[in-house]
Amino acid sequence: MLELLQNSVEALNNSHPIIQFCAYLSLLFIVIIITLLVYLKNLRDRLRIKGRIEATYKKKYESELIEYLYADDDKDSRLQQQKIVDYFKKNAENRLKRKLIIATFLKLKNEISGETSDAIQNLYYQTGLINSATSKLKSKKWDAVARAIRELTLFEIKEAHDEIILLINHPKKEVRNEIQKYLVKLFRFDGLKFLDILENPLSEWDQIQLLEILNKFNNLEVPDMNNWMRSNNTSVLSFTLKLARIYNQFGVSDEIIALFNHPNVDIRIEAINVVTHLGIHEAVAILKEDYFTRSLEEQIAFFKMMEEMAMPDDIPFIREHIEHDNFFIRISVMKTLNLITVDDDNTFKVNTTATDFTIDKDFTIAS
Amino acid sequence: MNLSKKIVLADDNSILAKLLQFKLEKEGYQLLIATNGKEAVNLIEDNRPDMILTDIMMPFISGLEVISHVRNKLEMKTPIVVFSAAGQEEMVLSAFNLGATDFMSKPFSPNELIIRIKRLLQ
Amino acid sequence: MLDLPEQLINFFDYIFFGFAMAAISSYIILAIISAFETVNYMKKNSFVNYTEILSSSISPSISIIAPAYNESLNIVENVRSLLSNHYVNYDVIIINDGSKDDTLEKLITAYDLIKVDYLINNQVATKPLRKGVFKSTNPAFEKLIVVDKENGGKADALNLGLNISTNKYVACIDVDCLLLEDSLQKMIKPFLEATDHKVIAAGGVIRIANSCIIKDGKLLDINFPKNSIVRGQILEYLRAFLLGRMAWSKLNGLLVISGAFGLFDKKIALEVGGYDTKTVGEDMEIIVRMRRHMEEKKVKYRVAYIPDPLCWTEAPDSYKIFISQRNRWTRGTIETLKKHRKIGFNPKYNSLGILSYPYWFLFERLAPILEVLGLFYFTLLIVTNNVVWDYAILFLIVAYLFTVLFSIITIIAEELTYHQYTKRGMGMQLIKTAFTEPILNHPFILYAAIKGNFDYYFNKSIKWGEMTRKGMSNN
Repeated sequence: MLELLQNSVEALNNSHPIIQFCAYLSLLFIVIIITLLVYLKNLRDRLRIKGRIEATYKKKYESELIEYLYADDDKDSRLQQQKIVDYFKKNAENRLKRKLIIATFLKLKNEISGETSDAIQNLYYQTGLINSATSKLKSKKWDAVARAIRELTLFEIKEAHDEIILLINHPKKEVRNEIQKYLVKLFRFDGLKFLDILENPLSEWDQIQLLEILNKFNNLEVPDMNNWMRSNNTSVLSFTLKLARIYNQFGVSDEIIALFNHPNVDIRIEAINVVTHLGIHEAVAILKEDYFTRSLEEQIAFFKMMEEMAMPDDIPFIREHIEHDNFFIRISVMKTLNLITVDDDNTFKVNTTATDFTIDKDFTIAS
Repeated sequence: MNLSKKIVLADDNSILAKLLQFKLEKEGYQLLIATNGKEAVNLIEDNRPDMILTDIMMPFISGLEVISHVRNKLEMKTPIVVFSAAGQEEMVLSAFNLGATDFMSKPFSPNELIIRIKRLLQ
Repeated sequence: MLDLPEQLINFFDYIFFGFAMAAISSYIILAIISAFETVNYMKKNSFVNYTEILSSSISPSISIIAPAYNESLNIVENVRSLLSNHYVNYDVIIINDGSKDDTLEKLITAYDLIKVDYLINNQVATKPLRKGVFKSTNPAFEKLIVVDKENGGKADALNLGLNISTNKYVACIDVDCLLLEDSLQKMIKPFLEATDHKVIAAGGVIRIANSCIIKDGKLLDINFPKNSIVRGQILEYLRAFLLGRMAWSKLNGLLVISGAFGLFDKKIALEVGGYDTKTVGEDMEIIVRMRRHMEEKKVKYRVAYIPDPLCWTEAPDSYKIFISQRNRWTRGTIETLKKHRKIGFNPKYNSLGILSYPYWFLFERLAPILEVLGLFYFTLLIVTNNVVWDYAILFLIVAYLFTVLFSIITIIAEELTYHQYTKRGMGMQLIKTAFTEPILNHPFILYAAIKGNFDYYFNKSIKWGEMTRKGMSNN
């Protein structure tokens, strides 16, 4: 056996460098493979244990939480409640379990409101979970900071405001967005003050998230949007237009109309759409005047507007476009002239009241 | 003799289900829990409950289909309360068109739910 | 015995060796970039709340377009699954592409459909409608639109879907794909997050559903199949997705997103003329065309990629169908690369022309040919008694070990990221597959690729090939 090994090594040393290279490479690969296989087994075992812990503790935490929330008002029950608080406190020292506890709390808190929701928030304080979040705000790792802000948002911890606001110009956009969501969730429209000075773009994703948060509140007093309507930040304009639309802000009609001349075409189109939704009639004349200087997309938006807001004197103008090249404009014209009726789900029917036009079902031409 | 009313609850959030079960059983109702629309329909067909509580957004057979099935296929007049996440007005409208009795948008107050249930079961 | 000149042998040796080393290096580089990017992605998305993107009036609308041909066995279940997605603002457009079976009738019955007059903007020419457009009378199914048209192939059907959709984004999928509940939210995110560039398309990961328990349109249990062909494909897909695509996405060099599930900006898809009905690789071809269009327009853009498992589908489990599928993929690649050869090595097209195209040309299109030539060469050497056996065997060993090593790294990457194969024993099975796949699967892939080349050049009549449906709900 040893002789074989010695012979092989000798043969190796005497052979071409490429052979040596390949032989050593093969050996290296084999060693790496074995190491990785050991690592893989270990990894899977750890993951399995983790899975088991999660399953067991998820159930336990859920029942403990319910028991805590609905304990009776007598002395014994209160002792039991304190026991549960201590139980959570102890478990929260383990990172995995802490994540589970927070997830359990939130899973319930997100669905219900009222005293039970407040009780869960109270529990968040009592178990000291809040401390782990606030201390993470100082972390050097941006994802830890973002996660902490998120947690504080979900548990609605207003006290953290001052610490969080310090991070408002954090280099990472994920952190900045979490802060924006925190401000809006906890302080509603007041939380939007950052729009006054926002220089970074607010992506559509962020805008939707903020609007969703606002959407959950009722009876909000909508603030003055005038500065935002004149912002240099295009995304702020876009966001404000959405706000104007959702909250029916007729007060800023003039500013919206002013945006018809904004350099960015998407803003112009969005402005036309908002005007349509709000039914601002002054806009019709304005857009009719410079109709021919506008891009096709804006013209399409204009005709969509006319579907809702055309007046009898507009009819001749509209009629001129019945054979327009663009499909959407043709359809809008036909709808406005009541030649066809189109439902919300895009099914239509031809109205036989039209006498001087017959419509080809292909909508290529109405002749 | 146990004359407690039967309620079928369809929601895939396990802890919310536990909470509602706790509260409703405390009020004397018997609760049957389903975690998706298909299970809900089975429970309804087997148990003929006095009331149905269902989330709209569930795997596979949605809450809307449950309502449709109960009203149209089973032709039952059982009161149905739907839960919806806030902002799903269209879904809620569809639910009512299909025959839902009442709705509560999430997050909702469990106490309010109990009051409504009691009223509807009067 | 022929005595081949030594220089000639050396020359060929170096060519094959060089190519192999280039291929290996490229895999390693892509793997490293992928690893970093995936970690980055997971960090960014670990705390994202996708449920907030649900509300109707604000989130953008998406049309799911699914062509169907002779899908009678499972169509009702597949459609139900599509209708139960958690996104709110979407509709499902099923294009019945001239099926000869009762696909349409089954849908009409199951979903209370009636024929309606529907506004269609024919921006891309397609084969005409057959029985027409159908919608449900039951409000619970208002998201469903079923269209029956004359047969025209998958690309043609998708184009009709593009014409019919009134939404801004379209998700083109295979009708038997199981989409997870939050797949639309996750896929639309890159489109909405981009501020200084445009996302034109997003692709996802395709996971193999064979042997998985799917009941009522929900993925209940993930199993590792017994069939070795499928096992090999699982490993292959994991390698490609976990250690390949993510890197290409970062380099903005993705040339293909899977035809099984892709999200597109509808306007741009229509701008380039929709899918090409004359190619069998329409999923790759449209991406290349869309990218080329954006490069020519000189607009900053990106093709995004989501590494989360969102779409589960059946993979071929018999050699015959497997080979047919790979044959088609090969022809699709050849067709696409040929059609767009103008961009190859052309600096005008930036990374598309200088990185992606050459890579795909060299390592996807040419690789199988070179490999087979290498085998011929090797055989020739044997016959002429010129083989230096030490070289040959060692080379084979190194190649085999590298493949195995790469597969094991893939498995580890999978465990560290999505850890979908949790059951006991699956780890062992995955490892076993890593060792057997190069022997059991690879030769067939090679054969299919060569046949694909042959069919492309000499056999113009072949087209798509069939895939017999086994049904998604299996035991």
